[in-house]
Amino acid sequence: MNRERHLADYVALAAVVAVLALVPLAVGDSAHFMRLATLMLVYIAYAVAFNIIFGHTRQLFLCLGALAGSSGYVSVVLTIKLGLSPWLTIPLGVASAALLGGVFSYVSVRRGLGVIFVGIVTLVFSLIFHNLVLGLRELTNGETGIETKGLGPAVLQSAPASYYAVLAVVAASLVMYHLLMRSRAGKAFQAIADDELAAELAGIDVTFYKVLAATIGSALLGTVGAVYAYYSGFISPTVYSLVSVDIVVLVTLLLGGMGTLLGPVLGGAVFAVLDEVVRPLGRLNVLVYGVLMIVLVVTFRHGLVAMLRKVLRVRIP
Amino acid sequence: MIAILLDGIVQGLQLSLMAVGITLIFGLGGVLNLAHGQFAVVGGIATALFVGEGLHPLAACVLGVLTAGLFGLVVDRTLLVPAYRCAGEERLLLGLLITLGLSFAVNGFLDLRYADVALTLRLPTPSYELGGVTVRSASIVAALIALGAFALLFAFLKGTLLGKVIRSIIQNEVGAGLCGINPGRIRTLIVVLSAMLAGLGGIAQGLFSSVGTEMGNELTSFALIVAVVGGVRSINGTLAAGVLLGIVNAFASYLVGAYMTLLILLATAAFTILLRPQGLFAYRT
Repeated sequence: MNRERHLADYVALAAVVAVLALVPLAVGDSAHFMRLATLMLVYIAYAVAFNIIFGHTRQLFLCLGALAGSSGYVSVVLTIKLGLSPWLTIPLGVASAALLGGVFSYVSVRRGLGVIFVGIVTLVFSLIFHNLVLGLRELTNGETGIETKGLGPAVLQSAPASYYAVLAVVAASLVMYHLLMRSRAGKAFQAIADDELAAELAGIDVTFYKVLAATIGSALLGTVGAVYAYYSGFISPTVYSLVSVDIVVLVTLLLGGMGTLLGPVLGGAVFAVLDEVVRPLGRLNVLVYGVLMIVLVVTFRHGLVAMLRKVLRVRIP
Repeated sequence: MIAILLDGIVQGLQLSLMAVGITLIFGLGGVLNLAHGQFAVVGGIATALFVGEGLHPLAACVLGVLTAGLFGLVVDRTLLVPAYRCAGEERLLLGLLITLGLSFAVNGFLDLRYADVALTLRLPTPSYELGGVTVRSASIVAALIALGAFALLFAFLKGTLLGKVIRSIIQNEVGAGLCGINPGRIRTLIVVLSAMLAGLGGIAQGLFSSVGTEMGNELTSFALIVAVVGGVRSINGTLAAGVLLGIVNAFASYLVGAYMTLLILLATAAFTILLRPQGLFAYRT
């Protein structure tokens, strides 16, 4: 029974990745749509990370952009200033993001901070990161940002190749997510999400598993942040700001469904379409994000996956 | 030196005016309002629009405060209702996400409709000479506004029956309900009151700089820092924290520059949460 289930999950996963892999064939000629498709994958990967951190262990990290950005900036700045290979600096960036996320999680679990205080602390960190990047002008070029064209790995230079590179990251993160959830840690996450106190009393090391989730999620955020830095050819504080990352990821995850394997993918795809629809409206998009977020939080808290499960009566991972 | 100190105190009072609303709504409604700065901006922009209509500035300010209050009323009666239906952690989370969404919606809307509207209030005499120190009249007016508002607030909370009711809910919502108090109505009152205080803060800010649509997030973060450092359930603490951070802000801006100051303030907030989650001055509400 269990084995069949896992097999079904893998089939679903393979199908999703196959569909995503076919996207460039459909839109390959248009640079604009290739960029949109790649961006969609980036946000899907962010959402998978946030799903692990928030969806499963209820740690409201409002510093997703800051974590991704710290990795991106660490990697880019080291590559430029020390002339290191990006293959070396990307892991360093990822490690710094993972370390930061792990420390936040450890400290907040140890101090017994409620979900709201974790939110505030990480929000404050977001602001600190934003101001640090603005202020450390010699390193980061402040608001102007840094050109990263030609710096990164060769694979991130052409549009189709970078699409597949990011897709590889997404696929790997989904597989990792699946493996994580079927392992011991997955059961622990489930118990923590249901009732933290009961989980603690049942002998689950809540601190360890929360820190584990935060570290893995942050490492994934860092990976995507660094890859994005080289892919986009340009980074600035705005690229990693609260509006451009955290809000979008929150909406994506809520839309797709928290705590599900395919929620981030579905949410990301729907959001990408939606975003393109409102793009002609110009600056209206912030308004749309805000309204969408309120509507989702209030009426649609379980997301698309849960809705599809109900309507189609099939098991969706 | 004295000028900087005075400046800091005035700034601090301003900050407290903004932050006390967050404290009240959190203490009473169990919702951390991340759209508080937007309430202030709504008040400021409304005032600017009324002034643009040719109203007397004072009347425009009163209407601006009322507009902020009205906005608070609408938000409380519509958007926050789903949050109030939940309890405990769930309510906190829902309230946080709703108000975060609201802050972006308001930002987006104001940016779209009123991008070029900003409030700047100019007083007839720019400065006075007080005991050898030149004081901007804007500072005096802002300080008087904040002190007046706080005096009224304290008189209301300590001196009236309704104030006692409010304090009882902050202490224990269930207990207050058992005594025949309807927390929902009081909550609405508090949200409206807080929104009006925020609007007042936004208008007072217009004495120093122009209040435009982009100020919302900045005001929210400052108010949040002050509320957190003061202890998000303590009104006295919020006032004290506001003045303290205002003074720190003024001296740090003078000594190490605006950029480092912001980092110092943010770090203070972060460390307060980590070391004393109940706030620096939290011993009574």
